[in-house]
Order: sequence, then structure tokens, then C-alpha cells
Amino acid sequence: MAIVEIRNLTYRYPGSTKPSLYNINLSVDEGEFFLITGPSGCGKTTLCKCLNGLIPNSYGGDFDGEVIVDGLSTKNHPVYIIAQRVGLVFQDPENELFCTSVEKEIAFGLENLGLPREEIRKRIEETIAMMGISHLRDRAPYELSGGEQQKVAIAALLAMKPKILVLDEPTANLDPFSSKSVLDLLSRLKGEFGMTIILVEHRLEIVAKMADRCAILNNGSIALIGKPEEVLYSDEAEAIGIGIPKVVRLTKALGIKNRPLSSKSLANFIMVRK
Amino acid sequence: MRVFSFQYTRKSSIIHKIDPRAKLVYLILFTILVVYYSNPIILFLIFLSSIPMVVLGKVIDRWKISIRSALFFIIFIFIFNFIGIFWSTGSLEYSIILSIAMSIRFIALISIFSAFFLTTSPEDLMQSMVQLKIPYEYALTFNMSMRFVPTLTRELQIIMDAQKSRGLELERGNILQKVRKYIPILVPLIINSFRRAEMIADAMESRAFGASKERTSFYTLTMGRKDYIFIIVSFISFFAILSLKLFFGIG
Amino acid sequence: MIEFKGVYFSYVPGEYVIKNINLFINRGEILAILGGNGAGKTTLVKHINGLLKPQLGYVKVLGMNTKEVSVAKLAKQVGLVFQNPDHQLFAETVEKEVMFALINFGFPPEEIKSRTEKILRGLDLIEYKDRSPFTLSGGEKKRLALAAVLCYDPSIIILDEPTTGQDYNQKRNLAKLLKRFNEEGKTIIIVTHDIEFVADFIPRCIIMSNGEIVADGPSDDILTRGELLMANKLLMPQLVEICYELSINPPSIKFDVVLSKVRAIMKGEI
Repeated sequence: MAIVEIRNLTYRYPGSTKPSLYNINLSVDEGEFFLITGPSGCGKTTLCKCLNGLIPNSYGGDFDGEVIVDGLSTKNHPVYIIAQRVGLVFQDPENELFCTSVEKEIAFGLENLGLPREEIRKRIEETIAMMGISHLRDRAPYELSGGEQQKVAIAALLAMKPKILVLDEPTANLDPFSSKSVLDLLSRLKGEFGMTIILVEHRLEIVAKMADRCAILNNGSIALIGKPEEVLYSDEAEAIGIGIPKVVRLTKALGIKNRPLSSKSLANFIMVRK
Repeated sequence: MRVFSFQYTRKSSIIHKIDPRAKLVYLILFTILVVYYSNPIILFLIFLSSIPMVVLGKVIDRWKISIRSALFFIIFIFIFNFIGIFWSTGSLEYSIILSIAMSIRFIALISIFSAFFLTTSPEDLMQSMVQLKIPYEYALTFNMSMRFVPTLTRELQIIMDAQKSRGLELERGNILQKVRKYIPILVPLIINSFRRAEMIADAMESRAFGASKERTSFYTLTMGRKDYIFIIVSFISFFAILSLKLFFGIG
Repeated sequence: MIEFKGVYFSYVPGEYVIKNINLFINRGEILAILGGNGAGKTTLVKHINGLLKPQLGYVKVLGMNTKEVSVAKLAKQVGLVFQNPDHQLFAETVEKEVMFALINFGFPPEEIKSRTEKILRGLDLIEYKDRSPFTLSGGEKKRLALAAVLCYDPSIIILDEPTTGQDYNQKRNLAKLLKRFNEEGKTIIIVTHDIEFVADFIPRCIIMSNGEIVADGPSDDILTRGELLMANKLLMPQLVEICYELSINPPSIKFDVVLSKVRAIMKGEI
């Protein structure tokens, strides 16, 4: 069942002459891991802001079409209502954390919602246990490493119990090791807790194998959409100029029928065939 | 580039644990004293009285940075005061004493404010503001501006490095030229601050900021025994120092 | 031409951010400094243009001891391009942005004009010359920041994280550009944690961890050492990962090499 529906979405920022998103149609199922990629300036960030209602509610501009998340149309509901269903993680963790301890950071959203204190306490404990970050509890977010910061940012959103997590290049500023640990966490959230994950990411060699489906955004429109292997093995993907993983290039050069997305599955295929 | 260091450092000390409202009482009372007196010796005494707080609060290193920067400013304060007072009164002795007093007053103020801000977390301060019925939005704005001071300082350093790498020499030239040289530093700093503010606003909204009129305060401050003792001690020392003038005519 | 000898530096007394750095870089080399966040990469390169001076040991650049010359004098020889262009763009127009460094370094007016035009053409920015830098896209801003440094023709170019936020095409164009400047005789140093970029384009690499250089050598050797990379918060390039999975020994970062080896495996030759 679709939990996110985007219908004929065209959006133009106030003061801009051409639309940043043009006629987007997209639906994401509950529990799906959906990957969005595309060249710089293709409209990925704008799309993320549409998903939790920041656009159009806080940005204005020309918003045509409809975005429906968990049954609610974003243009008819304030951001704080949508935010309880869609958690949005940003690129730069430094600007999304503003409290002096991890615990307070997690409490922030819950306090905003006006929840009773007992409930807040319960949710803090649950979230900390679920994310495995009890050792960070009393640390100040700005002292943490980039990877830990992103985990805290995710924890602070999960405490509000959203069904969907949208992440806008969450690992762009992280080193490979921290990036991988954040991305692995997303897989776990999907696997163990059935979260719907919508991830914007360039590093296809790490994330392609995690995704159920994938879309390439180009010049504000969806250029390709489908299973990751369909999309990444297509000739169009190469023409748009996204970073096709080496596994894909190698497999294509070898002329193998199978379409593996990770080194392991390529190796398995070759060994079995042999 | 470390100037006055008012940045809160998290430590566990008895002073850190005292309720911000109690410390606010201290801050106000002693600021009154500093402004009220102009006798250098008494001002120096007030300055000394702030040291136990710094020591108990384990923030001596940071406090030293503040005092050191204050000493630098004192040269100017002394010279300008001296010229001003000597110009209007013509009395050399009076001018010197008053200029010294002004300088010590400045140091004492810096010391008291450092002792307060170095041991009080901006968040607790915000919470006490809310509990003192200051609207949450104002308290939060204050908290945020404190929170992002280190971020901005770091950003300033990067920008200065970047422009120096492009051959900008801040040290050279007369005052007017020097001021102009700060344009390449200030423009990126200001533009980035706006951009950052926008991103923070987005992040806050995404965390349901403004959702409920009845925002829960999960962390509330309650005044305890030690807080009342602290307030009482502050009042006693306040009146003790005040009595020097009121009853003994000193100062 | 660049020499680090026993260099130590700390911001806070006692906590060295870089330790015992010994490094030699020849004229005309192109190399990458790799490492996780906080490994000390940026601190190291700031020593090359004198923004930081060693507390122990020395750094010599083109025969000059960095302690004895000003940042301005070194900066003319050593162009440092920072990670985020928003930290340096400030001028009213793209053209003025490029002219800034040229004026600072005291070039004569005619030369300022000709150099500005040349570099803007070279980096495909000439059509934006009268636009405000703030209206450019992310990729264009990065190019402009590069132009603003390249214009004064430094013989050493250092780029801090030039690939963050860049898509594949932009990265490939950057690599081409660097190659071009390298062929003109410039020494190029890239600070990055983008393993795939280094594996594809940069022949020498240095790995830093906790302020120390833990490995220094040709990329096709260093980047094939899985344990070394993993131990230093890096990941293997995907081609190397494939080699490990298929027990190809020695592993390689070169596409054609891996391709022929995999073919050989499939034919049953290995």
C-alpha cells in the first residue's frame, strides 16, 4: 500500500523563473527503502522538503499538484502535523542539532508536541535503546563525530514515531566509515521496525544494494524509476552521468546476464557459474 | 582568536549545580555594587569576591582567558578615562584614582559575568527564563545564540584562513584600509549566518516546533536548599559590602 | 620541493593534532591525502602555505622555511582551495571575485584583466562574469573558488575535499582539469575521503590517522590493502572489494586489470 503519493507535482520557488520540480509522479509503499539519486541541482533537496510539508507551508512559491503522506495532503496541514509522520534528516548535522545534551535533543520534539512528561520519559528510553546510543546520552551533540551526530538526529526524529524517514544526503560530510555505519542503521530500521525509508544519496556503490526501488532525478523531473538493477544497468543512467558503481560496469563489460549490485553477489554468481 | 570567553563549559561542580535563578540574584546584586562604588580598593574587593565562585566552579582556565583579554582593554579604558577626567577637572591625582577605579570596575564586571556564564548552561538559563514567565520564543532565541557562538567562531577562523590564502593581509595599512579589508571576511560570515539560520529553522519545524500552545517542559528547575543558601550568602555579602559606605562612610 | 621534517602541531597544549610528520613531495607530483574525519589532514596542509607553523620540526616549501616567510608570500606560490566555497566568495561579481587575489598580490592592471579573462574561459565561467557569485549553482561556485586561486598561477595547488557534494560528471571534469594543470607542471595535493575518486584518478596517496602518516605510496599499492584501509576509517574501492571476494591476488584498482582477471577466472584459467 502506498504511504507516500506524489501526483503531478510542479514547484517553483518564490522569485525563481523556472520550476525546480516538474511534473513528478511517484508512490512509495509502506516499508519500502526508496533511493533517489541524480546530478547536482536536479531538485533532490526540494523534493525532500516537499515530503514533510516545509514546501509549500514555510517556503511559499507556486505549488501545483499534490503530495499525500500517510493519507494527509501536505498543503492542507501544518508542518508539525506532517512532521509526526515524516522525519526529515538534513545534510549538515551541525545545523539540525541545537541542544546541549543528546537526551535533551531527543526531548525537544516531544516537548513541542506537548506530550505528558511520563510519555516523554518513556519515549526517550525507547529511542535510546532502539538506536543503541545510551553511551552518548549526556554528551553534547556538537562534541560528537559526524556519524554520531547523524544518529542523534535520526533518534530525535524517531522519538516522534514517524512512519517515514526522509534523508537528504545524510552522509555527504562524513568519512566512508561513518557513512557506512549510518547507512547500515537505515537498513536495520527498515528490516527490524518496518520503517519506510526515502534516501537521497550519491554513493551508489554502498546504497544501491540496500534499496528496493530507485529513481533518478534530472532537471527537476524523474528520468528513470524502477528496481535498482533495472535503473543502474540501463543505458540512460549512464548518459545522465550518475556514478555507476564499478560492479555494474564490470558486469556489463563481462557480458553477464545477471545484474548484481554488490561485490559479493557478483562473486557468488561467478563462482557458482564456474 | 580568543576574546572574552563566556562560553559555558560543562563540568560537574557545586557552582554548576546551583539554580540559574539563584546565580542570577548574585549577578544582579554584584553588578549593582560594581556600578555603585567608585573606590578602587572596594572595587578590587568585589573583584576578589568573585574568585571563590570561579575556583569552586572549576573554570579558572577559561576565566583567565577573559581576564587576560580584559587587561588588554584596560589600557584603553585607563587612557581614555584619564584624558577625559583630567580635561574636565584638571586634577592629576583625582584623574589617576578615578581612572584606576574605572579599570578595576571593568575587570570586576568581566569577572562576575564570566563566573556566571561559564558555570550556567544556556539551556538551564533558558529554562529559568521560561519559569520566570519570559515567553519561550525569546528564551529560545537567547539559548540558540549562545549555542552557536563556537560554530560561528570556527566559521570565522575558516573564512579568515581562506582569504589570507588569497593574499589578504589584515595587518597592513591604515585604519581605513584595515576596515575595508574586513569586507571579504564579513560578507561570507553574514551570508553564511543567514543560510545557517534558515537551515536551523527548517530543522526545528521538522521537529514539530510550534505544534502545541502548551509546550511541555520536560526539564524543570526546582530551587533546593543549596540554592537558597547561595542566595542568602549573596545577600549577606551584598549588604556587608554596601554597609561599608552606608555605615562606615568608606568608598 | 615540499618537505616536512618531524613536524608536530597542537591547538591545545599537549594534544597534538599532527605528530611526527615526515613527508617529501616532488615538483609536478599529484597526490591525495586520505583519512577519516579528525585525522589531521586539513591541519597538515595548512602548514604548506604557512597558515599554521610547526611547533616542532620544520616545513620547507620551494626552499623557504615556512616559519621565516609570511602567509602572503607563501600563498602566492601555494594556492589553497577550501572545501566550502561559501567560506570565501564575497565579491559583487564573478570577475571581481577572481581579481581579488590578483590585486592583493600586486599584479599590474593589464595583467589582472588578461589573467582574469583567461582563467574564467579556462573554467567555463566566462558567461557568468558579471553575475553575482551567490547566484551560481553549487558546482559553479566550486569552480569559481578554484579559479580565484588558479588565476595567480601558484606552483602548488591544494584542494580540501574538492569532491563533496559533486556529482559524477563534476568529479570527472575536476579530474580532467587537475590533470591539465598537472601536465603544465603544477604540484597538486588533494585532501579527501573519496576513495573511489583517488582510485580512479590520483597516482600517489598518503593515509593519515590520529595525526600521523600511516601509509605513503602509489595508490595501486595502498588502496589494495584492505586491512590498512578499514583500520583507518576508510573503505576499500569497490574493484578491490571484488578482487577480495574472488581471491584475486594481487588485487588491483585498475578496471581493465580486474576485468581481464575476472574473465580468466570465468574461463577457468585461474
